[in-house]
Amino acid sequence: MFQQLLFAAVVSGALYALVALGLNLVYGSLRLLNIAHGDLVMIGAYTAFWSFTLLGISPVVSLATTTVLCAAFGFLVYVVLLKRQLGSPALAQRLEANSLIIFYGLSVILQNGASLAFSATSRGYQFLDGVHSFAGVSATGSMLLLLGVAAAITLGALAFLRFHVAGWSLLAVIERKDAAAVVGVNVERVQMISICAGFAIAGVAGVLVSMTQQITPFMGFPFTIAAFVVVIMGGLGNIAAGIAAGFVLGFVETFGVALTSATYRSILIYGIFVGVLLLRPQGLFGKAVQAR
Amino acid sequence: MTFTISRRTFLAAAALAPVTTRLAMAADGPLRIGYSMCLTGLFAQAAPSQVNAYELWKDQVNAAGGLDIGGGQRRPVEFVSYDDQSNPANAVRIYEKLITQDKVDLLAAPWSTPIHLAIAPVLAKHKFPMVGNTAASVKLREVKPGYIWFPTAVIPDKVGEELAAFMAKENVKTAAVFANVLPLAQEIKTYLLPALERHGIKLVANEDFPPDIKDMTTLISGANQSNPDAFIVLSYPSDTFLFATQAKQLNVKAPFVLSLIGPTIQAYQQAFGTGANNIVTVGHWSPNQSKWPKAKPFFDAYLAKYKEAPDALDSVLSFMSMEILEQAVATAGLDKEKLRETIASATFDTINGPVKFDGVQNTTTPTSFLQIQDGSLELVWPDQIKTKDFRPKTGW
Repeated sequence: MFQQLLFAAVVSGALYALVALGLNLVYGSLRLLNIAHGDLVMIGAYTAFWSFTLLGISPVVSLATTTVLCAAFGFLVYVVLLKRQLGSPALAQRLEANSLIIFYGLSVILQNGASLAFSATSRGYQFLDGVHSFAGVSATGSMLLLLGVAAAITLGALAFLRFHVAGWSLLAVIERKDAAAVVGVNVERVQMISICAGFAIAGVAGVLVSMTQQITPFMGFPFTIAAFVVVIMGGLGNIAAGIAAGFVLGFVETFGVALTSATYRSILIYGIFVGVLLLRPQGLFGKAVQAR
Repeated sequence: MTFTISRRTFLAAAALAPVTTRLAMAADGPLRIGYSMCLTGLFAQAAPSQVNAYELWKDQVNAAGGLDIGGGQRRPVEFVSYDDQSNPANAVRIYEKLITQDKVDLLAAPWSTPIHLAIAPVLAKHKFPMVGNTAASVKLREVKPGYIWFPTAVIPDKVGEELAAFMAKENVKTAAVFANVLPLAQEIKTYLLPALERHGIKLVANEDFPPDIKDMTTLISGANQSNPDAFIVLSYPSDTFLFATQAKQLNVKAPFVLSLIGPTIQAYQQAFGTGANNIVTVGHWSPNQSKWPKAKPFFDAYLAKYKEAPDALDSVLSFMSMEILEQAVATAGLDKEKLRETIASATFDTINGPVKFDGVQNTTTPTSFLQIQDGSLELVWPDQIKTKDFRPKTGW
């Protein structure tokens, strides 16, 4: 049973880390609180569902199409809603707070747009539901795919930030946007790519969860909440810490429930969340910064 | 003999003409039926199965020349509806508005037990009768009889007792019970546990879980160690999906598996295919019950219009409620007191067979259980209305 619990914790952690990565990219580089993040998960899930049921396209292919679709949507949001505000110092200063309203509106539009377009009826489809057993663990193919894709994206993101010059630019924008601009980083371009990547990653997560969950226009909200918990636990804008916090949450949830009761799930998760906010407001893995 | 019309009389008549014309048209105009619906918010995914049933009923009534309002008169039907955002307080305001401002002719029910309970006092205050549908709780019996009725047979105390009797008949000796902490599941569990004990069924696991549960490995693996004859999962749609995924993953071998809400949704069978076969769920309607001649035509019409099967709980209850209203109006007309007396005393012929109310409750439809058998929903309990015998679950 221990191996099975360990596997469940890793799968949950990988999903949390993936969903939170997209949110963290957007917050880190643009200082925007995207509370429509979970709705992009929903868009990804519907893309996979309709592609599979109407066109017979494998969800594995939908991982690519959703990446393009959600990235394009991110570009549209950037150009239409954000670019002008980011370009004006006065407006940019208020944008972090205003982004809550902007993305709340976007969330309402996406949810109700999907509801009008597809109806709120639950959807589901069968894909990779065969069970594979190894090392005392049973897993469906869809869980293994989730694990593989999440590992590829999160490890890829970490490697990109560590080894690629564009990753250094992104880190520079996250840490000191003005200083990054001074040393020649094209901040606007980094921000635009970040929002596209953040939206795309959420869409990919949606494709992965569509294989195991019911799909509805309102399925995204729990992902938004989970992503915020993970990102705040890790430290807002801290990409690597966010990924680690995703796994912390997965392990706390799985083993905490195993040691107590399923009804304590929320108490465990939000208890740790509040504890982190009280004791380490900079995040589990963040460094305290002293104001001067 | 000559009539002389003065200029003043002519002008007065001309001024009144549009008003009188409009009144005449109103008498023959559409009959307006109001309702609130959770089009957004927590319960939004439940709305289509109910709205679809209402729309299908409206189409059929209008195709037949309109709603018979007694005395051979028929009027076409139109709906006046608002989004209550899944909020009972909003629904209360909406029903007040429908009655006092929109002045609708009739009312249809909203979705969910809390919203039904919230609007019951509004109906009583305005003495406006309404046939409820998608509400299920022992608390319904606490509603003062008068202006609201509940056709459901999914009342938790009866479900608990009947389920235990059904399990005992199928030789279940041991059971694991997992219950969502939401009200219907908890109410059923309250009555189920003592009933299991009375029928000599041993409980090997008894756990509650939250609505936002994301992993059931602990629950299922723990119960699997005792190898129970039955898994009774008092779940709602999202956890019903999660349980089916993980029951397959963790190789649940119990021959009796029940999920509370979700298996009657078409998406469930789409998502799990043959894995959904032989799952038991609550519900008191099947299109295959030949004793109810309206059942199959309803199923066929719904399938033709929406390209998916009706939900055997919400769609059926919603359509039944409109059938009851239709038949009551044909007898009593639109007078609210006569309508109330008729609904309270008559027997109605519905897609779920005859319905008669005692107080607020439907006392004719038996509490029953459905099983998915080769893609079809079959009644497997009780004997007097079953359409197929129970089949043990043999795989996922």
